[in-house]
Amino acid sequence: MNGFLEYVPGTSLLHRMNPVAKLLFAVIFAIMCFCTSNLVFLGAMLVLGLVMAASCGMMRQTFGLMKAVFVFSLILALLLILTSSSGEPLVDLPWGYIGTGSILAAVTTSVRLEAAAIPLFLTFYVTKMSDLSNSVVKVLHVPYKYAFTFTSTVHFIPVFMNDMKGIMEAQTARGVEFDQGGFVNKVRLMVPLCVPLLVSSVRKTNSAAIAAEVRGFNLRTRESGYKQYPFAAYDIAALVLVIALVVVAVILH
Amino acid sequence: MTIEFRDVHASYDANTPILRGVSFTVNDGEFVAFVGTNGAGKSTTMRLVNGLMKPESGEVLIDGVPTTQLKTSELARRVGFLFQNPDSQICCNTVREELLFGFRALKMDMDDAARRVDGIIAEFGFNPDDDPFLLNRGTRQLLALASIVVLETPVVVLDEPTTGLDFRECVKVMDIIRRLHERGTTVVMVCHDMEVVADFAERVIVMSDGLVVDQGPTFEVLRNRRTLEAASLVPPQIVDISLALQLMDPALVESPIARANTLAELYAAIAPDAQAVSFEGVAR
Repeated sequence: MNGFLEYVPGTSLLHRMNPVAKLLFAVIFAIMCFCTSNLVFLGAMLVLGLVMAASCGMMRQTFGLMKAVFVFSLILALLLILTSSSGEPLVDLPWGYIGTGSILAAVTTSVRLEAAAIPLFLTFYVTKMSDLSNSVVKVLHVPYKYAFTFTSTVHFIPVFMNDMKGIMEAQTARGVEFDQGGFVNKVRLMVPLCVPLLVSSVRKTNSAAIAAEVRGFNLRTRESGYKQYPFAAYDIAALVLVIALVVVAVILH
Repeated sequence: MTIEFRDVHASYDANTPILRGVSFTVNDGEFVAFVGTNGAGKSTTMRLVNGLMKPESGEVLIDGVPTTQLKTSELARRVGFLFQNPDSQICCNTVREELLFGFRALKMDMDDAARRVDGIIAEFGFNPDDDPFLLNRGTRQLLALASIVVLETPVVVLDEPTTGLDFRECVKVMDIIRRLHERGTTVVMVCHDMEVVADFAERVIVMSDGLVVDQGPTFEVLRNRRTLEAASLVPPQIVDISLALQLMDPALVESPIARANTLAELYAAIAPDAQAVSFEGVAR
């Protein structure tokens, strides 16, 4: 697998789509998932997301994402089960009960999060960051500074993850046992390591800022990029489709 | 304390083998340098020594015990590891705290730790209250080295300890490593600077493409043209000159001129009747 948020090359429809269309599609798709609580519809959207992943040859990576989202959604689901007393009572609690409605809400939340995350995840993996920032500047007229800030933030995430890994390895070599004592102990041992991570992050961002300045960052305008990002018929079709799905979601709500 | 690799295979992912059957032994108290091009597998070998990586197959033995049977803290008591980038290692707010960090991590006696840290601060000439993050690159590297030295581990592994240092800082770091070795510590060093290797290492292990392609006494290896070519190495200048002389005139192969390993030996070979000359302070 490629590194975290590292472009996965390919020739699928998603790869070929206009970066702005992809981004809009993914964002509207995510919003749409929050417009409905219809579990069947959300399940269908999850399947649609998986079909998109399969078309880009990214099933393995997508399952990895789903696993991570599932862990997070499990916490939300647990909170919902314990706090929303609805439907037929199944288990009595001192403050209410766990009902069929609570479980349905928890399942819906999990499926919703999974369905909403997949297109966003795919968008970042099948679009080069440079294309994403250049296209939002050209097409959406977003100032380059803001687009660059966003893409460089995304770009730096794996860099900082690598830094943290390096720092943890260095401390492991000095005898710190991150693998002993469970999650709480691991967090307790990791907190002091935020200092070197912060120092290295500031140094790196400072270097990147200087490098950008000396290469004429401030002179860059919307016209500076030579590449054009025209909308093709399939871009329009994708946007129409996602808007139609929003309408369906609202109707099914 | 000995380090032994027995047919070790290792990789970061299944498709890219990094080590493809590496075997060697580093004896107790030796100073061994690992040389080779980037990607040869040197740093991976070092990570296997201190257990940051485990072998896929084969064995890495520290004093006869496989690293797979040792916890990281147990390995850290035996093997000190200096990373290429000191900023990965430094994490405390003062020099003193940084030097004490290893003792705390290893749950060692803090009275003894305070005594040892005082000694190291005096030896290295640190200000104990300095903020490590505000020190210059060379001093940060020295601090990272000091935090390893202070633990008095029987083995010290150094991953390119002189990278990014100027000549003065490099000499200072290597002087400390030399003293450490003289006190009986086993030193294993990855280094790209052949002059440093020639000056300090007793033995050299040459790696290329995940394999050990040669190993032996430093100058024996550094004078082997085939090894140098296989690992894309450039020998130290004096060895380079003597190898070039051998090429120019094969009759010189056995002459002292063509076998000189140091400036003093070369001078003695050229002017055998000259009085002893001190090369102290003469740039290589």
